Amino acid sequence: MAYQSAFSALADPTRRAVFEHLANAPSSVTALADKLPVSRPAVSQHLKVLSDAGLITVRSKGTRRIYAASPDKLAELRAWLDTMWDQALSAFAAQAEKDSAQ
Amino acid sequence: MSTDPVVKTIHVALSPQAAFDLFTKRIGDWWPVETFSVSAGQGKPSQSVTLAGGIGSEIVEIAADGSRHVWGTVRDWAPGKSFVTTWHPGREASFATKLLVAFASEGDGTRVTLTHSNWDVLGEEAVSSREGYDGGWVVVLGQFEAAV
Repeated sequence: MAYQSAFSALADPTRRAVFEHLANAPSSVTALADKLPVSRPAVSQHLKVLSDAGLITVRSKGTRRIYAASPDKLAELRAWLDTMWDQALSAFAAQAEKDSAQ
Repeated sequence: MSTDPVVKTIHVALSPQAAFDLFTKRIGDWWPVETFSVSAGQGKPSQSVTLAGGIGSEIVEIAADGSRHVWGTVRDWAPGKSFVTTWHPGREASFATKLLVAFASEGDGTRVTLTHSNWDVLGEEAVSSREGYDGGWVVVLGQFEAAV
């Protein structure tokens, strides 16, 4: 289940808000805590979960750590969703084919 | 780009009404439960997936272990034309996305178009109790834990 941790990580609404923010612009922990109704320790905790799920990256800028959403993982998740609907509609079409043959 | 709704379309050799009925009330006849279901995420296909039809009706999965999971609730229902349902398989209803499926006569069959998007696209129609979080495009991501 390649995407389980990513989907689980995104199931929490606050964590999703943190990720959404990072997808828009790279940020430090302080900047995130300032912009969102979340405390610094909570932000750090969410960042850890997101990082473990491979959804974000971090780089050092001087003494600060800047977090950003990982574009590769986003693309993977999007592709998964796309595949799911392709497969669901293929299955639908296959049954429709059987129906129309009767 | 990755934040846009997912749009898929196919043609089937059925009338719009027959295609609509197959997609909705007969969802159990075709949904790939061995790969996309809450039960599949637990290693076994579901026992059933059903949708009674009509506004307020639910898409319900009975997993292999007998547990009941609601994938969504119908918000709009126009038989033979389109339906709209919330979509939150394996998650709470408050973080649902929106699924719109339309059926249009095409040749001697039907063009079926599916649009999976974030409720925020509708603005005021957004599902309630979001606890102040706007949802964003990330909510569009699928929730099943696919058995891949």
